[in-house]
Amino acid sequence: MRSFKAYFKKEILESVRGNKYLILFVGTIFWALLDPLVLKLLPLLLKNYLPADLTVLFSTFNRDTAFQTFLKDLFQIGTIIIALTLMGLLSNEVSLKKLVFPYSRGANPAGVVLAKYIHYTVTISLFILIAFLTNYFYINRLFTGGMLSIEIALKSSLLYILYYSVLLSILLCLSSLFKRGLIAGITVLVLGYTLSIFNQFKVVRAYLPNYLLFKAADIGHIFDNSLIPTVIISFCIIILLIFFSILRMKKIDVA
Amino acid sequence: MIKVVNLKKSYGRLEALKSISFEVEKGSVFGFIGRNGAGKTTTMNILTGLIKFNGGKIFIKGKDFLKNKQELVRSIGYLPETPTFYNYMNTYEYLNFIARIIGCNLKKTRKSVGKLLEMVKLTKQGKRRIGGYSRGMKQRLALAVAFMNSPEILFLDEPASALDPEGRVEMLELIEGLKDDKITIFLSTHILNDAERVCDKICIIDEGKILLTKNLSQLYETYIQPIFDVEFEEDPEDEVNLLKKFSWIESIKENGRRISIYVKDIDYAKKEILKELSKLDNNITSYRTRKSTLEDIFIRMVSKNEII
Ligand SMILES: Nc1ncnc2c1ncn2[C@@H]1O[C@H](COP(=O)(O)OP(=O)(O)OP(=O)(O)O)[C@@H](O)[C@H]1O
Ligand SMILES: [Mg+2]
Repeated sequence: MRSFKAYFKKEILESVRGNKYLILFVGTIFWALLDPLVLKLLPLLLKNYLPADLTVLFSTFNRDTAFQTFLKDLFQIGTIIIALTLMGLLSNEVSLKKLVFPYSRGANPAGVVLAKYIHYTVTISLFILIAFLTNYFYINRLFTGGMLSIEIALKSSLLYILYYSVLLSILLCLSSLFKRGLIAGITVLVLGYTLSIFNQFKVVRAYLPNYLLFKAADIGHIFDNSLIPTVIISFCIIILLIFFSILRMKKIDVA
Repeated sequence: MIKVVNLKKSYGRLEALKSISFEVEKGSVFGFIGRNGAGKTTTMNILTGLIKFNGGKIFIKGKDFLKNKQELVRSIGYLPETPTFYNYMNTYEYLNFIARIIGCNLKKTRKSVGKLLEMVKLTKQGKRRIGGYSRGMKQRLALAVAFMNSPEILFLDEPASALDPEGRVEMLELIEGLKDDKITIFLSTHILNDAERVCDKICIIDEGKILLTKNLSQLYETYIQPIFDVEFEEDPEDEVNLLKKFSWIESIKENGRRISIYVKDIDYAKKEILKELSKLDNNITSYRTRKSTLEDIFIRMVSKNEII
């Protein structure tokens, strides 16, 4: 608990002074603002340059499709930003020998790992929640039609939060395994994008975390029974990988 | 206080520690000396629980170190060779961070942080970010970290390597002061004069093997024999070759026109050396005998002259 508190405060200080909050903020909330605006303005700007049938395509955006576009962009760009900002979570501490003093004064690896995981999960969850609400608000202003409601937006954001919690646990674990954070970051990106391909296969998709993203965009039936295995598996992955990271940080040479 | 038995450590193929054993008594200063790459830092990293080892046993305060690591580490302070901090923090923030890890109560911490900074002379720079500190300032801060919560055992890896002359003297005085407080100190240093001044026991390590562990007083008794320093008028190359042939001369260290003669049989040498020197074809400008210092002993030990 001592190490947990010490490291939780340290992560806050590090995120403030290293502008990590700002970067994560831009990575999530910025898109929530920009996406609806672009969707609304682009057809207007390009009206004179586009063939008529394409203009039709743009103007068919209603609140639902605008929301789905935001979800897609958040996944594609948010994942890159989160992976690259947080890839050195544990590997930097080890390779830059930052743990020599804390470990030599009895820091508990479990506290260190949990503090990092919980701090960034809470941060990202909060940003995602704000992003979804902002996006919902903007879409309501700019678009009409569709069945999007605040309840749907919140449900959808919960699935995103769970998805990024899984992603973060994978990142944490890889970061404890590799000396270089970049390897962890790129592995997570490749994993995140390729697993999405499986959303086309009905048989397997419910057993992979990326199904959470699929359901988040399934406006109208976001929460249904098909999510049960996905949610259970997601929590299992998180617990398992955190446990593994703690073991690894207990065994690792820090000097 | 610390007992090490047949400790082994390899980095891949390289055997950094080849089964070393020694013991450190409570309240003593243990001087750990050896050339670059001898294995000093490796040993200290193992004894502070920062890296794993491949064989052997370690006991600290009579307890098996591997089994009670988390508990034992709490009574240990470590000043590493190249200390690293979170550079975006200032000194107060870092010390508070460490205090939280140790679990000191906050009121006590505030007082002790002030005192520690005074001790290492960083009070004025306390509000500056550590990233902008000089090497010596970082070493001072590292000392403050090692001292937090008054540990029973202190590991100091070349604590004065980045300090100014004044700082070095202060460090020695500090170590002498700690001895009175019954704190056990494990000190690695290249400054043998310093080791001579503060250590109770000396341990010489070379290429991962321990060449000798002895109390300083014993060391002088055993290796007390004098060294003969002779200075010639001209470069004494031929003369050195001539002298080297004598069986009672162990080795000769040359330094321009000056040579230092190490002997095996002192009583015999005292009688013979002047006789032999006077026969030489090179005038002698000075002749002096002196007691061996730790430095002489060290150099003789590690230059593979095991017969002293
Ligand atoms: N992380 C490492 N990986 C591989 N080899 C290492 C590592 N750390 C140390 N060594 C090797 O182990 C041996 C002992 O190194 P160590 O740092 O203990 O020496 P030292 O006595 O502290 O030297 P110095 O006086 O230069 O500080 C050296 O040959 C060194 O190259
Ligand atoms: Mg060293």
